[in-house]
Amino acid sequence: MMARLTAAEAVPSRRRLPASALRRRQLAVSAWLYLTFLAVATILAGTFVLAFMASLKVDPLERPFRLYFDQLNPAAWIAAARLGQEGAGDALWGGFSPGAKVDFSVTYAAPVGTTIVEPNAEIPRRRPGSGIAAALMRDYAADYASIALKSSSSAVMQVRDEETGVWEEWQTRTFVYEITYRTDRRNGPWIERTPLNLTAPPSQTLIDSPISPSRSERRGRLLSWDNITPGALGLIFNNYRRVIKETADLQTGKSLFGSWLVNSLAIAIGRLVLTLVVASLAGYALARLDFRGSRLLFAALLFSMTIPAQVTFVSNYLIFRDLSLLNTPWSVIVVFVASANVLLMKQFFEGFPREIEEAAIVDGANRFQVFLKIVVPNAKPALLVNAILAFQGAWNDFFWPLVLITSPPEALTVQVGLLSLRRSYGGAQGDWGLVLAGAFISIVPVVILFVLFQRHIVSTQVTKGIT
Amino acid sequence: MLFRPAKALAVAIMLLGLPALADETVRISGWGGSEVAIVNGLLTNVLAEKLAKEGITVKYEPVDGDFSQFIINGLSAGTAPDLFYVDVFWARSIFSAGQAAPVTQDVSGFSANLLEAFTYDGKLYAIPKDFNTLAVHFNKDIFDDAGVAYPSDDDTWTTLQEKLVAVHTALPEVDGLCIVPEYARFGAFALSTGWSPFDRQGKTVLDERFRRAFDFYTGLVKSGAAVMAADAGQSWTGGCLASERAAIAIEGAWIISALRDSAPNMNLGTVRMPKDPESGKRGNIVFTVGWAVNAASKVSRAAAKVAALLTTEEAQQWVLEQGLALPSRTGLADNPWLRGGQPEQMTSRVVLEGLSDDHVTPYFFGDVGGSWMQPINAALNSVILGEADADTALASAQSAFDRMLAK
Repeated sequence: MMARLTAAEAVPSRRRLPASALRRRQLAVSAWLYLTFLAVATILAGTFVLAFMASLKVDPLERPFRLYFDQLNPAAWIAAARLGQEGAGDALWGGFSPGAKVDFSVTYAAPVGTTIVEPNAEIPRRRPGSGIAAALMRDYAADYASIALKSSSSAVMQVRDEETGVWEEWQTRTFVYEITYRTDRRNGPWIERTPLNLTAPPSQTLIDSPISPSRSERRGRLLSWDNITPGALGLIFNNYRRVIKETADLQTGKSLFGSWLVNSLAIAIGRLVLTLVVASLAGYALARLDFRGSRLLFAALLFSMTIPAQVTFVSNYLIFRDLSLLNTPWSVIVVFVASANVLLMKQFFEGFPREIEEAAIVDGANRFQVFLKIVVPNAKPALLVNAILAFQGAWNDFFWPLVLITSPPEALTVQVGLLSLRRSYGGAQGDWGLVLAGAFISIVPVVILFVLFQRHIVSTQVTKGIT
Repeated sequence: MLFRPAKALAVAIMLLGLPALADETVRISGWGGSEVAIVNGLLTNVLAEKLAKEGITVKYEPVDGDFSQFIINGLSAGTAPDLFYVDVFWARSIFSAGQAAPVTQDVSGFSANLLEAFTYDGKLYAIPKDFNTLAVHFNKDIFDDAGVAYPSDDDTWTTLQEKLVAVHTALPEVDGLCIVPEYARFGAFALSTGWSPFDRQGKTVLDERFRRAFDFYTGLVKSGAAVMAADAGQSWTGGCLASERAAIAIEGAWIISALRDSAPNMNLGTVRMPKDPESGKRGNIVFTVGWAVNAASKVSRAAAKVAALLTTEEAQQWVLEQGLALPSRTGLADNPWLRGGQPEQMTSRVVLEGLSDDHVTPYFFGDVGGSWMQPINAALNSVILGEADADTALASAQSAFDRMLAK
């Protein structure tokens, strides 16, 4: 095949192609290239968007994957805000507090000939099965709420039979329930979630409710809502709220996720400062000072870049143990390899005009003054690139924090903390809503950094980077 | 120097403060998941006063993630907690390295076969805190809709398989069971034939009895009674039960806490493992976890005291009545709570009964450890996936065992 193609092409290549054909060919090539780039970008951005959508869902693993659900539906946001307002006077985050009076209407439909019965409604005592949530749950809406049917009304609707194409008349019934905070428990607490169960024969279908049921159980007999008073943000960002609330320290009740973020930030800033100091000093020394063994040192530096962290981690670990730095942020701050950063700075300093430095020396400055007053202020672009790379590297570092910081739970970094969000039953199932939400919160600082310094990252790396 | 009033005061405070210094902090650790509620509940609801009286402060650090890795790292680096969980599955490696302190308290109230699992070289190294066995958990609604009789305690492998095939025929979208190619589930079937993981010489022999169970288990998919859990997008048999994809699951009582989160309203039934149709006997695997005191702990006496308190009859009764775990003390086996009709009470009762099945072995494999299961798991996987026939797969598993246990 290949041989035939080249042979066929060989003939026209003897004479020049007409300009229009050449142009067409160029256009076709660029069109393909453009489409390929677009496809790759769509796939990359697409997975990101899909993962974000999944992080909002009640069940991120649901199959088939729906693109349209309550958390993305403005009508549900409004309904959730109303329910949150009625439940606790908080349209944003909802809840259930004394004085609550919540109206919740559901509409069932059934074909003619089937009577629609009133569903059996119940505020269940839903206890989290696992994790810190199970240990921290104290108050249950079931103990403080009473539910009663307020009204019901009937109507008819037209339904088209999928198979025959005939329009049929179906009957519908709407039931309005009123959920109130029991008056005999006036001094009760604020409760985050108000679950609801509706049990009805599978012959009747739920066609409308302010917010969709969290799941259908018992093969369609039972519809269950995790929270009917969510508030708008409580509906959309339920998993995000859970990440913050359900990763609490058992003794203090403080959110672990918050301390993980603080730890990560402290470690990233510490490493950034250390990297800048070491990389600029060493880079300058290697670029300008002609000392004995500098070439050997530079070779050693390059060689150190080829050693994976996993090779040296046992010895490093033992050193940190003997220094009693294990389980402290200091161990993760100082265990870094800045050779790439040193290289970056060295290359920059080598391109820095020697004449300027010599002028300063003529004016009576010593080496250190030249470095501090002349070179560093002019090295801003290189320092910025280094700072961004160091921060991003430290923030996303997983291996060292995993090895060096194991306890207590509040000492972890956010990336290792995410690992611990995988709760296990029988060693298998995970709470993926929490993991995804946590992952998205953890990328926020890096995204902010990228947005702010994007110009510098792109331009300086290309123009001023390793040449 | 002592004439200086400030110094004298300081010394006096130090002397007075000495009893307060005796206040010892014990770090304890276990894995996360549903265990957090158990340990935290015990510490705050049941034992708070007693611990205060003993002058012990407990710092509880649950570990979500790979606990055995955490504890082995911690023990070798000297950062491990004073008191920690040991699973019988990997406990041996910790006991043989001398990293756990022998138990000195009276353990007469605990179930003997659980104590035996934590005994190494004639010494007891951990106090069993709870246990689990396997049982058949089923979704009553699925059986009702399919018009098939519920699984029962009298089921044999064949009658259970027939029921599962009938369910799948009546409701094509539902499978009977999501199976996993793992000894941890399959083992119960193999044991019920009278086969034992190690014979008298300490060798593993995959005889005809094993072959019978193997053929039954691997044939479940072909007969239409089961599907591979991975093919249903799940990694364990309970995941399919929770999503109503499967009619039954073969798991321990831990399934209750998973169902609380993913299917809180399931109409759940639990019966004992099916019998081998030929021998008419039942087999089961016991999973157990204990509290071990770190041999290098500076507060080992206080840690042992905490371990004792966490496993008192009162503590275990609280854990049992919360529906969280099964007691390792024999005295609680006929607790009235177990006779209740709630699904979690029924499940706990059946799982407890599993301990008295005909052929029960603990989930541990001598000095070889967890890698003992590898040849069996590989054989199950390759036969279920159709990559090899049973003869080839078992022959290669047998030769793997011969090499492994040749020493």
